[in-house]
Amino acid sequence: MPSNDNERYPVEACGDDLITIGVRSPAEAQSLVEALRETGAWREVVAGIASVVVQFDATTIPVDGASERIRDLLAKGISPIGLSDVLFEIPVEYGGEFGPDFDDVCRQTGLSGEELIALHTGREYRVDLVGFTPGFAYVGGLDDKLNVARRDSPRQRVEAGSVGIADGRTGLYALPGPGGWPLIGRTAFRLFDPSADDPFPIRAGMRVRFISTGDVEAGS
Amino acid sequence: MSITVLEAGLQTTVQADARLGMRHLGVPTSGAADALSLALANRLVGNDLLAPALEVTLVGPTLRFDAPCSFALTGGNAKSTLNGDEVQFHQTVIANAGDELAIASIEIGMRIYIAFGGGLQAATMLGSASTYLPAAFGGHQGRALIEDDILQTSGDGVVAEVLQTPEEFRPPISPRWAARACRSVETHLLAKPRASVLFETNWTIGRRADRMGMQLDGATLGVSSAGRMPSSPVFPGTIQCPEDGVPFVLSVDSGTTGGYPRIAQIARADRHLLGQMRPGDHLRFLPREPQEAIDELHAKHDYWRQWLPGIESVI
Repeated sequence: MPSNDNERYPVEACGDDLITIGVRSPAEAQSLVEALRETGAWREVVAGIASVVVQFDATTIPVDGASERIRDLLAKGISPIGLSDVLFEIPVEYGGEFGPDFDDVCRQTGLSGEELIALHTGREYRVDLVGFTPGFAYVGGLDDKLNVARRDSPRQRVEAGSVGIADGRTGLYALPGPGGWPLIGRTAFRLFDPSADDPFPIRAGMRVRFISTGDVEAGS
Repeated sequence: MSITVLEAGLQTTVQADARLGMRHLGVPTSGAADALSLALANRLVGNDLLAPALEVTLVGPTLRFDAPCSFALTGGNAKSTLNGDEVQFHQTVIANAGDELAIASIEIGMRIYIAFGGGLQAATMLGSASTYLPAAFGGHQGRALIEDDILQTSGDGVVAEVLQTPEEFRPPISPRWAARACRSVETHLLAKPRASVLFETNWTIGRRADRMGMQLDGATLGVSSAGRMPSSPVFPGTIQCPEDGVPFVLSVDSGTTGGYPRIAQIARADRHLLGQMRPGDHLRFLPREPQEAIDELHAKHDYWRQWLPGIESVI
């Protein structure tokens, strides 16, 4: 295989049945995941923000053969996945008991509550990644003014529907559980519904807009 | 055939095969934490190796059989009785209607598996009947058993053949473990000169040990991850190390992506061992190249195939 492909998309074993492929954007990761899944050859194909990891069945595919198949596919090139036509409007109740870190984020960013809500609801975003737990969505494209760090210590319990921001992304908690993102609000939108025909309404590549449901903060 | 739960135990769940091919949607693998012991139990009652069965954690349940039923116990050691008489592990036992099976606290190991003739009826979700507690789906109503639950077996519950696991196919369970492990993506972030400390330390399983994973005590590793890592795929058996230097191993219910350096990956052949490690147990990692680990996996399959045909689907 041409070595420049391997520089463009570094391929490396990260376990006896795992291979990681470095990519340059979540959109490339999603595109590569789809191309790899289409082959039906892999146990798992999972995207990260900057990589894709393939798990293969070592009883049917030798280690070298697995890397080779991946490099062959990479040699054809990857077109970053385009934005989906689907636009989800996600209602969010900002601040108060649903956004326990809302005031702290205002302090850190120097924004008023109204400004924070206006910035967060003021643009369209893209779902970079669904992962961590069923339906947890990493939504990219946050305004630079909202770039805050994760909390120093994670909360033991974050409620389902919680909306957090950190490292330039909005995180949507589909399930209750521990979590380290500063929380600015909560949505009643079901991000994961095991009883629905499609339990995963949100997929990577979808467009998202946040809508403020209350005027609790904005009007005060 | 029904079974009534008289006492639930600490965390008794229905587990079966792994939920494969769903991690790209954030859905963990789940399934038996010790899949080998699940398969051994199912073998003794004539079931598919990964048929739905009960996974018992540290403190066992008390169950009443409402009709005759075959069952088998495998995994950790705990005093277990049927109507007060001791029950042997690793053999087919036939209970009569009204019999009560009581499993006390597990003394060695972390989990016991109870398989029933015909297998348990369970809710299949996203391709598997295994319970995933955080999202409350699969198994018995998506949760751990509670008192007065009634479980149903598929079929009438009694099998014709009474079997014993041959001695050489009873996995040793002790407080000391060794697991083979390969390099992972961020192994190079382990601070030198003591990068090899991962493989030189006799680790102790920390107090927090569950189906998500477990913390390792015994040494503090230096990692230079400069604070923020992009969220990356992780798997059962991935060993991560946050900034505080205290590593942890992910298990069957772990999330599918994580933001801490991945410093090693337990080899496929040894991931089932994680299901029996309990707080206070000791664990050493044995370094392997991927090809070596795969060769050893094939050898392990060849051995176990003699008693468990189809072992490749289990470990």
